[in-house]
Amino acid sequence: DSHIQYERVGADVTMKCGSMDWDAAVTWTANGTDIDPSHLNGSYLILKNVDLTQSGQYSCYEGSSWRLKYQTYLRVGMPPKEPVLMCRSNNYPKGFYCSWHLPTPTYIPNFFNISVIHGTREMVCEKDAFPKNRCHIRYVQLFSTVKYKVTLTVTNALGKNSTTFTFDEFTIVKPDPPESVVAKPVPNNPRRLEVSWQNPSSWPDPESFPLKFFLRYRPLILDQWQHVELSDGTSHTITDAYAGKEYIIQVAAKDNDIGTWSDWSVAVHATPWTEEPKHLTTEAQITETTSASTSSFMPPPTTKICDKGAVVGSGAVAVCWTAGLVVAAYGVLFI
Amino acid sequence: GDSWGIFTFLCAALCNLPALPALNCTEELGTSQSIQKTYDLTRYLEHQLRTLAGTYLNYLGPPFNEPDFNPPRLARAERVPSATVDLDLWRGLTDNARLAANYRAYSRLLCYLRALDGQEGTAELRHRLGHFCSSLQGLVLSIAGVMSSLGYPLPAGPAGPTTPPGTPVAPNDFLKKMDDFWLLKELQTWLWRSAKDFNRLKKKVPPAVVTLRLEARGF
Repeated sequence: DSHIQYERVGADVTMKCGSMDWDAAVTWTANGTDIDPSHLNGSYLILKNVDLTQSGQYSCYEGSSWRLKYQTYLRVGMPPKEPVLMCRSNNYPKGFYCSWHLPTPTYIPNFFNISVIHGTREMVCEKDAFPKNRCHIRYVQLFSTVKYKVTLTVTNALGKNSTTFTFDEFTIVKPDPPESVVAKPVPNNPRRLEVSWQNPSSWPDPESFPLKFFLRYRPLILDQWQHVELSDGTSHTITDAYAGKEYIIQVAAKDNDIGTWSDWSVAVHATPWTEEPKHLTTEAQITETTSASTSSFMPPPTTKICDKGAVVGSGAVAVCWTAGLVVAAYGVLFI
Repeated sequence: GDSWGIFTFLCAALCNLPALPALNCTEELGTSQSIQKTYDLTRYLEHQLRTLAGTYLNYLGPPFNEPDFNPPRLARAERVPSATVDLDLWRGLTDNARLAANYRAYSRLLCYLRALDGQEGTAELRHRLGHFCSSLQGLVLSIAGVMSSLGYPLPAGPAGPTTPPGTPVAPNDFLKKMDDFWLLKELQTWLWRSAKDFNRLKKKVPPAVVTLRLEARGF
């Protein structure tokens, strides 16, 4: 008959050939391969300091008849370390979910048991089909002063471990990031970008539990983000974008009053509207890059003396540049 | 931030407590603005309470000031009005019931807080408590203002700044501290709940024609 045997990494394992006597003549195989008799002590198989590679099927055959006397499946693994547990309410006020994992693998099957205690009452955390290590609970009461205590126990053949997380209802509220973030240029407005997004679909009641938003944006070429906090509405127009620069934009959400900010949404890219005709594009970019490197936070060179007006056109920039060169040349002559 | 407490307190003083019908301050602003003001006040108080509770719990000492202190509720603690409510029940509350629950709760919480005030403790603690009580008084009046502007009758509340009758004195120092702990906890939860209550009320009461943008963020 067949067994499964679990052993710790580094342990010494002694396998007996079923009911055979110690001095019986036997042959052991590991996954079908004969084992060298030097590992035998009589009819016992000795494996010292086992490692993961030694997991497999071990069989013992009677010496002459080659009858199978004993078979076992050896699984080498480890007892569980303290599991990592987190609980979060991304669908307040409906309920919350808890999810967990082991910090290091055990290489053998593990069983998880979760218990949720609220005051004197034990609540049932319903296991999710997917992902596996997750369960959810529906709130029965709202605005509770009593903490929730969640205990996760993990057990396997070699040991057990557990962890506990105690929290107040309000502290675990964290929505999912906003969805469908869209950023578009605004026609005829070279410094604007229109951003819009939607409430995360997991947030069940934005009417009674409104969300506020945090928008961050920066041109790809700079490291520093600009931030805007918005207490209502799901759109915003950026009005200080650098002309012609590609921007990266993200949005986060938070319940107006409680909990923490969501993770950042998926980043969207957008470039403000420009009217530059193709053949002047390269020149304009060179000029702009030059002025950008000398003073990184100056706006595009529209505010120079030879400015033609409000239009940030490459035409005006080119004229400025050549005019400046002429002036410089005269200046050199006079020195 | 501080201006709100002073504003409402002055309002209360001028409006001759506790005679509430002549609450001229809120009537002029309109119901929608009153609700917004009340909402802003709960946010201000919640922020103030964080500092106050921290100071007070430190004064009580361990285990009360430990972050995972999670004691069982004793029967006597039920005297403090609880914000906890069944979800569907809370959703289905009428505007009148919602406002009345808030009014009743804060009136009683104010009484208990006042009983706390004036006892032992550092000067700083007494000063903070005093300031908080004034602001909380402002909140009670603000709620009353909203109720009267909507035509709802005020629930019969405690007479004034006296110890509520029938409160048994804690038999020992530790139980007294437990009472204080739960009082602050319930107060905090009520302020969180009120923000949601007034959010709902904001949506249901149509805004007045002139919108007064009350900049009350950044507490």
